Amino acid sequence: MKSQSAEKKYLPDMPQKEVEELNASVKAASERIMADNIERMKKTDPNRPAAMQYFDEVSNFFGMRQKEIQEAKAQGRKVIGYLCVFAPIELILAADAIPVRVNSGWYDTSKLGDRIVPVEVCPVIRSTIGAKMIDLSPYLELSDAVISTLTCDGQTKLSEILSDAKQMWIMTPPRVKDSAQSLHLWKEEIKAIKTQIEKLTGNKITPKKLKEAIETMQKATKAFRRLQDLRKGNPVIMGRDAMLVNQMSMWDDIKRWTKKTEALCDELEKRAEKNEWACPPDTPRVIVTGTPMFWPDNWKLPTLIEEATPQGILVGDELCSSDRVLYDPVGIDEWTMDDMINGIAERYLMASTCPCFTSKDGNEDRVNWLLNKVKDTKAQGVIYYVIRGCMLYAMEYSRVKKALDKVDIPVYYLDTEYTREDVGQMKTRVEAFLEMLSARVDF
Amino acid sequence: MTEPTKDTKEFWRWEEYRRVCSDKSWDHKDVITAGVDVGSVGSKAAIMIDGQIYAWAVTRTGSNSPDSAKKVMNMVLKDTDLTQNDIKYTVGTGYGRVNVPMANKAITEIACHAKGANYIWGPSVRTILDVGGQDIKAIHCDQTGRVTSFLMNDKCAAGTGRGMEVFADLLKIPIEEIGKVSLSLDEEPEPVSCTCVAYAKTEAVGLLRKGWSREKVLAAYTRAMAVRMANLISRVGLEKELVVTGGQSKNMGIVSRIENILGVKTLPSPNWREGELDPMLAGAMGAALLGKALYVKAQGN
Repeated sequence: MKSQSAEKKYLPDMPQKEVEELNASVKAASERIMADNIERMKKTDPNRPAAMQYFDEVSNFFGMRQKEIQEAKAQGRKVIGYLCVFAPIELILAADAIPVRVNSGWYDTSKLGDRIVPVEVCPVIRSTIGAKMIDLSPYLELSDAVISTLTCDGQTKLSEILSDAKQMWIMTPPRVKDSAQSLHLWKEEIKAIKTQIEKLTGNKITPKKLKEAIETMQKATKAFRRLQDLRKGNPVIMGRDAMLVNQMSMWDDIKRWTKKTEALCDELEKRAEKNEWACPPDTPRVIVTGTPMFWPDNWKLPTLIEEATPQGILVGDELCSSDRVLYDPVGIDEWTMDDMINGIAERYLMASTCPCFTSKDGNEDRVNWLLNKVKDTKAQGVIYYVIRGCMLYAMEYSRVKKALDKVDIPVYYLDTEYTREDVGQMKTRVEAFLEMLSARVDF
Repeated sequence: MTEPTKDTKEFWRWEEYRRVCSDKSWDHKDVITAGVDVGSVGSKAAIMIDGQIYAWAVTRTGSNSPDSAKKVMNMVLKDTDLTQNDIKYTVGTGYGRVNVPMANKAITEIACHAKGANYIWGPSVRTILDVGGQDIKAIHCDQTGRVTSFLMNDKCAAGTGRGMEVFADLLKIPIEEIGKVSLSLDEEPEPVSCTCVAYAKTEAVGLLRKGWSREKVLAAYTRAMAVRMANLISRVGLEKELVVTGGQSKNMGIVSRIENILGVKTLPSPNWREGELDPMLAGAMGAALLGKALYVKAQGN
């Protein structure tokens, strides 16, 4: 545990013994859950792509990737954590630092977070606090600095709480996109972060380095989109597997991830040629939108969908923890520093479909993105997933529902908590929704 | 026909019973199907001959779902000349649906209640409020009884059958009279502020100490639950005709208050004591009907 000389504003001084005990028990539970998730994914698709084995390995929080980052750190590389997909990854890569997302998907630690913030607070936030309290998240612990974007109230105060233990870099995105000053303000935020990164790493972000980083991410986006395109046809891959691949892009070395994803896509294409499907082609196709879902514990909903009777398949999602992560590439006209910074600013602001934005058309970007996704993936239904305490997604539901009603796509609002306890009750809701989607065929 | 097993000292205890339509006969050409609805509080079974009700039974769910399913199936078969082997297809539904040993398939109670309500009241039913032992569901369906949308409460048991049992015990009012008693006041009290069963109990005790009558406390609690249910119906989109299914369909205090809040009349509940179809069995009946459809479809293939 890092000792912090300054007085802590939020985090309690827990006895070292308690920290160690809690860390060991949550870690042990987490290892069991990760193994169980993978086991169940294998069971759902007995013919699961061989290329998935690599992603299973990377997904182990306490495994190969943690060791790799530790080793890189020992050789002087810096690690920059981020709490939100607004963090400009290209700049981190250009400074030869390691970007890694540090949101917490652990259920158990959200209960620890309750010691500091009330239970009404979003459990993703509480869980991240709890993970810090017991030094659970290897990536958060290894981070030399953490980029936090103030996209919601929870995130805002989380930054303050984590600043007791970590160097926090705050970015404030404008909450409106379509005003003259928005992009200008955001560009200034990007520039400020660039300076911070350079200062921390001691590496200057040169135009050459930045160009390389942008190209690296463009390649990753290409592989990412290729995988999403493959999901549009008959089910070549179960949704949970694709979700894991997408999520791992935020933890893995991005160049290696790109290679492995391309290899997975090659394998999937071969399967498709042979008409080998991950599940029957008439399985109801579902899209999930709403609060992000983080590995490992919060694999609850995708698991319920794909293990349900009748079975469903997740053909895509509109989550900042998976299908939204790499969807948009940085567009560049000229490879000048200013143009590249512009391109980055635009990609992270204008292309974002976060519900933190507001506009007179009612955050139309998110709605349109979702409608397109539904159309492209031929989804038959949408599950609108909200973790209690997640105000922005909860409030935007009726707006989204109206848009989906218009195109006659059923949508189900599913609210839950960071807990395993309501799985039985959620199962009834998910299965009833899937029955409703398949009723046209069955009864 | 009914066999009351009520112990007057247990105020929560409701009537377990079974019924056979003895005027109906069957032969081996008929498609005989069963629906077994293992709820958190009650287990129900229905047997249908070619999609027409033949027999049904309702009993309390024990601690174990497979045993409850077997118990209610034995109960429903008892006075018939049918055996388990005569049943071509069984659908399990309800909270314990995956633990119904004799079931060919499990279907959620949401789909089954819609189908069952369509059977009981006919094709005009559009909105169904199913109040079970631990869940409340507002369901919207089409003229064939197919679900078009639904909402379900979260894990909280407020306003459900289990909550009502707790109140019957607390206030020492037999559960079957709870609806009538809750309507016995001239003036409706303010609803209690908290519908959570655990807290509402504390609040109720407080009100009793303050000098409220049992009737008034009950009315205030029932009102609060009815408000919650009415909200759920509004959120799913109220479309006439509205019906109430599940155990709470028998609670006049709930049904009349929902009508009052929403400003609509529910379709009249059949008089199950006189041998008419019991809305508490809507799920089991729907399950048996869906079982028939699935059986016929499988035969056709």
